[in-house]
Amino acid sequence: MTAAQFPAIAVEPFGDSAVMVTVPRPDPVIRRTAIVAFRERFLAHRPPGVLDVVSGLESLLVEFDPLETALPHVEYAIHLLAERLPVHEQPLSRTALRFDIPVVFDEETGPDLLSVAEEVGLAPAEVVEAIAESTFTISLLGAAMAPMMDGLRVPRPVRRRAEPRTDVPPGAIMIAGTNAIIQPFPGPTGWRVVGRTPHTIVDISRAEPVAFGTGDIVRFVPVTRDEAAALDAGFLLPVEVSA
Amino acid sequence: MTTVGLDITRTGWVTTFQDLGRRDTERRGVPTGGAADQHSAAVANILVGNPRGATLVENLGGELAFVPDADVLVAVTGAPCRVTIGGAPDGSWSPVVVPAGQEIRVRADMARGARNYLAVSGVLAAKTLLGSAAPDPRMGFTQELGARVLLESGFRGFRHSHFTPPLFRLPVPVLRCPEGPWVIDVVESYGARSIPGVRELIARSPYTVTTRSNHVGLRLDGAVRHPDTNAEIVSHGVPIGALQIPHADELIVLGRYRSLTAGYPIVGVASRASLPLLGQAGPGRELRFRWVDRETSVRRSAERERELRALERATDEAFGALGFAGYLIPQ
Repeated sequence: MTAAQFPAIAVEPFGDSAVMVTVPRPDPVIRRTAIVAFRERFLAHRPPGVLDVVSGLESLLVEFDPLETALPHVEYAIHLLAERLPVHEQPLSRTALRFDIPVVFDEETGPDLLSVAEEVGLAPAEVVEAIAESTFTISLLGAAMAPMMDGLRVPRPVRRRAEPRTDVPPGAIMIAGTNAIIQPFPGPTGWRVVGRTPHTIVDISRAEPVAFGTGDIVRFVPVTRDEAAALDAGFLLPVEVSA
Repeated sequence: MTTVGLDITRTGWVTTFQDLGRRDTERRGVPTGGAADQHSAAVANILVGNPRGATLVENLGGELAFVPDADVLVAVTGAPCRVTIGGAPDGSWSPVVVPAGQEIRVRADMARGARNYLAVSGVLAAKTLLGSAAPDPRMGFTQELGARVLLESGFRGFRHSHFTPPLFRLPVPVLRCPEGPWVIDVVESYGARSIPGVRELIARSPYTVTTRSNHVGLRLDGAVRHPDTNAEIVSHGVPIGALQIPHADELIVLGRYRSLTAGYPIVGVASRASLPLLGQAGPGRELRFRWVDRETSVRRSAERERELRALERATDEAFGALGFAGYLIPQ
């Protein structure tokens, strides 16, 4: 990570207790990778009075308590963190975990598999192969802690559905652009549904409802319906690292 | 500390455990959530000697009622409502004792405001998710009360004193829910620049809360204007109170359970000091928006905070004089 990664960051006030941070560069890939890197650095050096952050694809909403700090202080801290490389970059708070997630890819679990295949010019089996050969990195946790990942390697970015699906089951593997996400609870989505894992992604009865965090590595492993049933899959845990 | 049972005899349309919301969870995709009217929730807790963020009960519509099996100290706040204890009318926005075996009833008046808060001195036994008792329907965390609620309480009644309620004279900052249109302060945001004339339009137009409103957001009928371009806005984080103009002809004010990201123009964000009143706005309520600068907006927040601190000091002194300071749960 170098200082050049954060060229001229933009900070826009948003109401009386938040600011929006963006990296105004023409290349969307730079905008997206720079904002993820900035987010990690910002959270590792969080200024006083900052309550929380919300990640967008190309932006970071920084929420603060205006009675504990003030807008100019927050803006100053953001510019300072963006423009000046700390002498000793704080190591990330946790080392990346690895997740190998079994997924059933068929017509019932992946109703959008066929249309995605047509769109990117592959056979459905080749789309499954492309997903299985991709290495994903969790870039943020979306609604209800859904892991949002980057790293899908297909011939061209996948479009969202024109008409969102209203009731997608938990465990659904969904793709859009070069991203993938797993549906944690039943609900609507505009993403393309391509498969389903038998694992529980988010368990609210646990003190830590998820085992994954940003920066973790995910691979999807195709399994048959019978293999999935035989797994007796419960709460999703990372791959055990042998000492 | 003793364990007290509260037999829930009636619940409203939506009755849940609640608190001031989750901290530091939005970076992990879970909205802070919590009481829609944070001011009333904080005041209810302070009035019974609890920390502001203690678990309490939020009620929307209908009637909430329970019978405790020991004396409990209770405060009801929020929208104007009818409170009775053992059938006799009693006051809201004040600490009151519900004697063992007597029923307290709180009847909402939806025409005046949407939500009531009921705090009980002590610690209510409620499940938590990510450190908070606030419900999160999206994650299947509903937090309904059930038939019997348990309370860990240090309240021992007023026996050290000849005091009987309602003799407290506390400086209570009551939330005003006026009869006419409610005026909401809004700070302009950069989305307004992409829609010429929208600022003036919003300042002069009346808006009405529709029935499709909930804790995710208030959906308002009224005049809106859209950007001239069809340029897609990349989905970005949105703050509580954001005034969002979706593709349809409506204005949405985002609530504490908003979807954390959205890609619609946001023309302004409601002032923090106006959020409690927005939390009380039910269907049919007419709203007016008033643009304010950021400094004014923050100053109003600071005034609210000073009122809460003054109330905390006054209740500490009053309860200390009554001899049960120290029985209450510590700050």
